Amino acid sequence: MPNSRQPLQSEPAAIRPLPTLRHAGQLFETERRLNAVLNNASVSIFLMDDRQHCIYMNRAAEELTGWTLDEVLARDCPLHDIVHHTYPDGRPFPLHECAIDRAFPENNQERGEEVFVHRDGHFYPVGFTASPIRDDAANIIGTIIEVRNISEEKAAAERQRLLINELNHRVKNTLATVQSIAAQTFRGRTDLAVRAVFDARMTALSTAHNVLVEDNWESASLISVIERSLAPHLLAEVDINRFRLDGPDARLHPKVAVTLAMALHELMTNAAKYGALSTGEGRVSVTWALSDLGGGQQQLDLTWQEQDGPPVAQPTRKGFGSRLIERQLPLEFDGSAVITYAPEGVVCAMRIPLTQLGWIGQETVEGSLAP
Amino acid sequence: MTMLTGRRVLLVEDESLVAMFAEDMLLDLGCEVVTAMRLEQGLTLARNEDFDFAVLDVNLGNTRSYPIADLLFERCIPFLFATGYGRQGLEAAYQAVPVLQKPYQADPLEHLLTRLLTCEAPAHKGASSVPATCRCQPAEAEQGRFRADPIR
Repeated sequence: MPNSRQPLQSEPAAIRPLPTLRHAGQLFETERRLNAVLNNASVSIFLMDDRQHCIYMNRAAEELTGWTLDEVLARDCPLHDIVHHTYPDGRPFPLHECAIDRAFPENNQERGEEVFVHRDGHFYPVGFTASPIRDDAANIIGTIIEVRNISEEKAAAERQRLLINELNHRVKNTLATVQSIAAQTFRGRTDLAVRAVFDARMTALSTAHNVLVEDNWESASLISVIERSLAPHLLAEVDINRFRLDGPDARLHPKVAVTLAMALHELMTNAAKYGALSTGEGRVSVTWALSDLGGGQQQLDLTWQEQDGPPVAQPTRKGFGSRLIERQLPLEFDGSAVITYAPEGVVCAMRIPLTQLGWIGQETVEGSLAP
Repeated sequence: MTMLTGRRVLLVEDESLVAMFAEDMLLDLGCEVVTAMRLEQGLTLARNEDFDFAVLDVNLGNTRSYPIADLLFERCIPFLFATGYGRQGLEAAYQAVPVLQKPYQADPLEHLLTRLLTCEAPAHKGASSVPATCRCQPAEAEQGRFRADPIR
C-alpha cells in the first residue's frame, strides 16, 4: 500500500516538538492525568497507527485481551492478528475482511460488533467504536478504537429471547387449554350455538395476543389489531368489499390492544348475526383519528358504522358485548363508548385515551423519576 | 341470606373481562358492587364512599393498588388482595392482608369475605403476618377445604 501519510508511530523520528512548547513539569503533570484517566477507564482503548499496529493500549485493554502493551509492541504486527485472527467457527480471519480495519481511514466513526479471541483462546463478543486521528493538515494518521466486552448484554438478550418464546408458548397453550377444558366440561350439556360463541371469543382473544407477540409484548399496531379483529378467520384478510378502514397507525399498550380487539369482535359478531354483515349488501366502515392530549399522550377516536343492512331494532336485552364496550371500556381507559341502534345501521363511537407505553419501574430504571 | 347479603363492596380490578367476572361473582353472593378499574377511580371511591369491605387486584397495569390499601387501612375498612402472584408477590408492609389467589373462584371468595367481616383484629399496615387473634388465614392454606365438582 503506498503510504503518503505521516505514520503515527512510537519511533524517535516520528516525534516532533509539540506546536506549543510547555514547561516539562506541566507536560509531566498532563501525562500523569491522562494516564490516570486512561488506566481507570472501564472501556478498552487502543491507539493504532496507519499499518493497524497497536501503539498504545490502556489497562482495561490489557485485561480484555490478555496481552500487555509491551507484548503487543514486541509482536510488531497488526493488532487484528493478535486479538481477532480467527472466526468463532475456527476459520482464519484475514485482516482484509475485518470491519474495524476497513473503518480506517474512510469513515469518521465506525461502530459495530465483532468477536475477539482472548490470549487463552476463548472467544468473546465486543462492541467497538473506531474513530480516525488526524494531523494538523487533517490527514488521517491513525485510529483510536474503543472496545467493550458485551458478553453479559448478549447473554441477557438471549435469556430475554428464551423467556419471550416461553411466554408466547405458554399464553397460546393456556388459551387452547381453556378451550379444551370448556369443550370437555360442557360436552352434551350446552347448546352448540353457545359453544360456538365461546370458541369465537377465545379465538379473538388468542388473535389479539398474536399481535402482541409480534412486538415482544411491548405494544401492538393499531391497524393490525383492527385488521385481525375484522378478518373472518385467522388466515384471511379483511373483505374490502364489506369494510372500509380509514385511519393512521399507532402503537397500542397491550391492555388497550386486547380490550379493543375483544370490543371489535363483539361488534363483528353482532353485525354478522343481526346487522349489516347478516345480508349480502351491508357494509361497515371503521374510521379513526388520533389527537394529542398533551404530555405525550394521545387519544383514539374510533367509529364503527354499519350501513345498507336490514333495519335495526333496539336490542331487547344488553349482553356481554354491550356491557364490555359501553361499561368496561370507558372504566378501564377513562374514556367513553356509546352504541347507537339507529334504524339505518348500528353506530359505535369510542373515545380511548391511549395508555402510555412502558412498564412498572421503567422511569426508575431509566432515571427519569427519582425512586 | 348470608352474612354477605346486601354488603357494599369496592372491587378494584383493571382487566375488563376479569372485572366483569369478579363483579358477577360478588353480585351472586348478594353484594352491592362498586367497580373501579383505575387507581384514581379507586382512590376517589375509597376516600369518599362507605364500604363494608373491598377486593383489590394488586397489579393495575402501570401501577399498584397499595395507595388504595393505605386509605382502607386508615378508614378501617377490611379488604383482601386478589392476585395471581400469591402472597410472595406482595410488598412487605402488606403481608398481613388476606390474599385471594387468582383466578377468582366463588367458594374461596365467599369464605374469605365472611372471615373478613367476622375478624376481630383486622390486619394493619406493617404487620408481618396475620394477627394471632384473627381467624383469617391466607387463602392458599384454605384451598384444600374446597372440593372439586364430583366427576360425572
